[in-house]
Amino acid sequence: MKLTIDGQHLEMTAERAVFWEEEKALILSDTHFGKGGHFRKAGIAVPNQVQDRDLAQLEFLVSRFQPKELIIVGDMFHSHANRELEKFAVWRSRFSSLRIILVEGNHDILPKEFYQKNKINLEQDGWQKEPFSFAHHPPEKNNGRFTFSGHLHPGVLVNGGGGRKLRLPCYWFSNNCVVLPAFSQFTGLYIIEPKPGDKIVAVVEDELIALNNF
Amino acid sequence: MKKTRGYKVALDWFQLKNHRPFPFQAKAWLHFLDGKHGLLNAPTGYGKTFALLFPTLIEFINENDNWQHQKKNGLQLLWITPLRALAKDIHRAIAEVCEEIGLPWHAGLRSGDTSTSERQKQKRQMPEILVITPESLHLLIASKKHKNFFKNLKGVVVDEWHELLGSKRGVLVELALSRLKAISNANNVTASSGNTVSGMPLRIWGISATIGNLDEAGKVLLGSDHEGSVTVRVKKKKKTTIKSILPDEIERFPWSGHLGIRLLHKVYPIIEKSNTTLLFTNTRSQSEIWFHALLDAYPDLAGVLALHHGSIDRKLRDWVELALSEGTLKAVVCTSSLDLGVDFRPVDTVIQVGSPRGVARFLQRAGRSGHSPGAVSKIYFLPTHSLELAEAAALKQAVTEQTVEHRLPHVQCFDVLVQYLCTLAVGDGFQPDDVLPEIMSTHCFQHMTYDEWEWTLAFITTGGTLDAYEEYQRVEIGEDGIWRITQRRTAMRHRLHIGTIVSDAVMQVKYLSRGYIGTIEEWFISKLKRGDKFTLAGRTLEFVKIKDMTVYVKRAKSSKKAKVPAWLGGRIPLSSYLGKTLRDVYRQAAYDEFASPEMKKLAPLFALQKERSAVPKAGETLIESIKTRDGHHLFVYPFEGRLVHEVMASLLAYRLGQMQPLTFSIAMNDYGFELLSDQPIPFSTENAKALFSTEHLFDDIQKSINAAEMARRKFRDIAVIAGLIFQGYPGQYKKNKHLQSSSALIFNVLSDYDSNNLLLKQAYQEVFDFQLEEARLRSALERITDGEILFKQPSKLTPLSFPIKVDSLRGSLSSEKLAARVKRLQLQAG
Repeated sequence: MKLTIDGQHLEMTAERAVFWEEEKALILSDTHFGKGGHFRKAGIAVPNQVQDRDLAQLEFLVSRFQPKELIIVGDMFHSHANRELEKFAVWRSRFSSLRIILVEGNHDILPKEFYQKNKINLEQDGWQKEPFSFAHHPPEKNNGRFTFSGHLHPGVLVNGGGGRKLRLPCYWFSNNCVVLPAFSQFTGLYIIEPKPGDKIVAVVEDELIALNNF
Repeated sequence: MKKTRGYKVALDWFQLKNHRPFPFQAKAWLHFLDGKHGLLNAPTGYGKTFALLFPTLIEFINENDNWQHQKKNGLQLLWITPLRALAKDIHRAIAEVCEEIGLPWHAGLRSGDTSTSERQKQKRQMPEILVITPESLHLLIASKKHKNFFKNLKGVVVDEWHELLGSKRGVLVELALSRLKAISNANNVTASSGNTVSGMPLRIWGISATIGNLDEAGKVLLGSDHEGSVTVRVKKKKKTTIKSILPDEIERFPWSGHLGIRLLHKVYPIIEKSNTTLLFTNTRSQSEIWFHALLDAYPDLAGVLALHHGSIDRKLRDWVELALSEGTLKAVVCTSSLDLGVDFRPVDTVIQVGSPRGVARFLQRAGRSGHSPGAVSKIYFLPTHSLELAEAAALKQAVTEQTVEHRLPHVQCFDVLVQYLCTLAVGDGFQPDDVLPEIMSTHCFQHMTYDEWEWTLAFITTGGTLDAYEEYQRVEIGEDGIWRITQRRTAMRHRLHIGTIVSDAVMQVKYLSRGYIGTIEEWFISKLKRGDKFTLAGRTLEFVKIKDMTVYVKRAKSSKKAKVPAWLGGRIPLSSYLGKTLRDVYRQAAYDEFASPEMKKLAPLFALQKERSAVPKAGETLIESIKTRDGHHLFVYPFEGRLVHEVMASLLAYRLGQMQPLTFSIAMNDYGFELLSDQPIPFSTENAKALFSTEHLFDDIQKSINAAEMARRKFRDIAVIAGLIFQGYPGQYKKNKHLQSSSALIFNVLSDYDSNNLLLKQAYQEVFDFQLEEARLRSALERITDGEILFKQPSKLTPLSFPIKVDSLRGSLSSEKLAARVKRLQLQAG
């Protein structure tokens, strides 16, 4: 699904990332790499394939759009280091020409050396790339620039027929800002409370659907 | 036995109390002393405690000349009870007896409420008798050198076994017993040289109220030791009088509804003339509404009317219970939270609001009044809509016929097995070959296959059988071949999670100043804004803020516009016994036999039902096809309870949809279900039998319901029990933040990548056994197809169809692709 904001051409995907044509940048959020490993270390059996699939999905997007850079608006890594991050490092080395910018999120607690080693540029909330602004936490006030953010793992309740509610991940446009759906499939949903004038695009399996009533 | 020293001491004690042991008590003593396992079937208030406390005492006194001298005897008797409140009561009774007969024994109590220092003291020197909950027993097994605690154990009594049996807590008991038996056996073999005096095996006794499958209850409790065990029954049956609160004019009483407030004015005189009344409602929100309504209408009840339900803070509940037993309350509005528990002697009257949905539950509640042996239990039935009066008539009939429901035991609970193996692993560790025979001796795991055992072992060590989970750490196999949990954090977390009671996603509610009030479900609080008012624990509260998983409130000035929270507790469907008796009552009405006062009252309603449609006779199933502005309705009345109706409705909708493309909306209650379509429904007496056939049942169910969605919901408990997700602990919430995840998420990733996971399979199995009640569905379908179909086409809604149409849960059946459906519904809503 394509849209134009401030003269820039953007394409939203059902794979939960936005491609910014002018800058050849892929924008995504909350990849939570290493989450499965973190759980396994704590004695909770989560299959290995979870991160494998997330990386494969990212690779698919990279090969489809051929971006020059990835802009990740926070929570790229879930917690402390574990072996899954080594797998990520291998993946990273295969795309060494790809620039990665990480707008630090609350989960990104790894030592700075890790980011240096993996050639990840760290930025803080409010980092700008004309004409947009990027922040992990959705800004409380409209700061005059359109902002890409994450953190919430936004989800929406949709009428599934017969009085049943479906919970779907979504892109949430509100207050001159878009809250991106969490990229990782191993993440939960926070059900948002949209305000009048907001725009919501739900991810329904492999399709995007703009919701006109919620 | 009667000549022995111990028996005389026991008799003397009874004489001191001015009576003799009941025959059932003496019988239980004899069998116990004879080395037999058994089951005691006795209602509460009949002295069951003394039936199973004394044999251990008698045996000890007989075998020890110096029994009056204090010495370290170690744990002799373990008393397992499901409720902390009950544990206190029994502990008190036991301590009293020991003191009065001059036996210098210690009686201990161990539950979640026991202080750490007391627990440590117990571990250093076990009391002779320990009253314990199943969870605390597992915690004991999870401690190092647990074998030493139990090496002198002579007997285990499992109180209220019927309560534990139908839940996974029963499985906890089964597994704990298998361990205790193994410890005892090993001791009897090695100690043959010396100091075991009696050489008796560990004796295991259950105490159970009357349930439909009492024999099975014994088998489940004793597992492979069931053979040769005895069942002791109390012959005397408790008398129960049942009276319905009848509306003055049935014509003006509603056809549907679920509150019953309309009959409030008839409740007050009953409360007034009784000593203490318990008013049972079926849901927590209903109890809040009743509490306020009573207080509003009768302000003089202020101070002597209390509220009790599961979401009210434990301390407040304790206060209500204390006041109840002291007799300072006139009435308590309550839910199933007071079904069980200590005897409140002042209670002489019980009122049941709405259908209790089962005979056993109704009797249990009635039994909360008139506690002493020989006393009569008195219960009033308050209908919430007209047809519920027929249920009262059915309940009366069922009580005279003494038909009581079964409690279905859980089998193959791999979640509990995973937890239990980890419990052993945090204690002294285990060797699989040693514990396998113990586990296989339980009823729950008697049919476990070798593959399933292998899977369970793999699950706790490598995560799965096929490919190892990277960096997975839970149980490790030491060089000595012992399986242990070595990581301190994992061990600590496991200890915190022992048990099978999974709480809902709730938030604590607390005053800004101080003091907890209770808990409320997250989804309800998420709808509240600052300043909104709601009721909890009978108080009207104003929502202030949420911080650290706690809801802060202050007292509201007025109760106007206060919302009543709803809790998504499991709504219990009509039991099949009650359904059967209800069909019988309808059959009598079909022949214009109105024997009971309830049915006499209902006669005009049945006349109307007959006039517009028909009342089913024996062997008939009534089906009504009615056209209204809403569309074409098909009503079917199997009287099999909501859950079975839901599946049957989906099944019928699916099969009708195979004949021609149709979209249905589905509704059901405990009496029947409805299919609604915008087009005529191609149902006829000719195709009826095929539509209700049990052929291809399994396949058709799979296609007609969303089993994955149901299993995903069931998986929550399984994931918590097996330690796959962490329940948020107040205070600890932040610490484990990076380990937060929902069970649905884990269900999804396991479904995607590890579909052979036994815990997933268990979720589906639980859906089929407990949610879809497949066995019951099958026999209901057979009953319908074996009998006659009574097909009517009334021009107007009937008394039977009306409540289903207006007052029930709705679902739908559609075969469209998800995305297409969302798009269409979005367009429709435009």
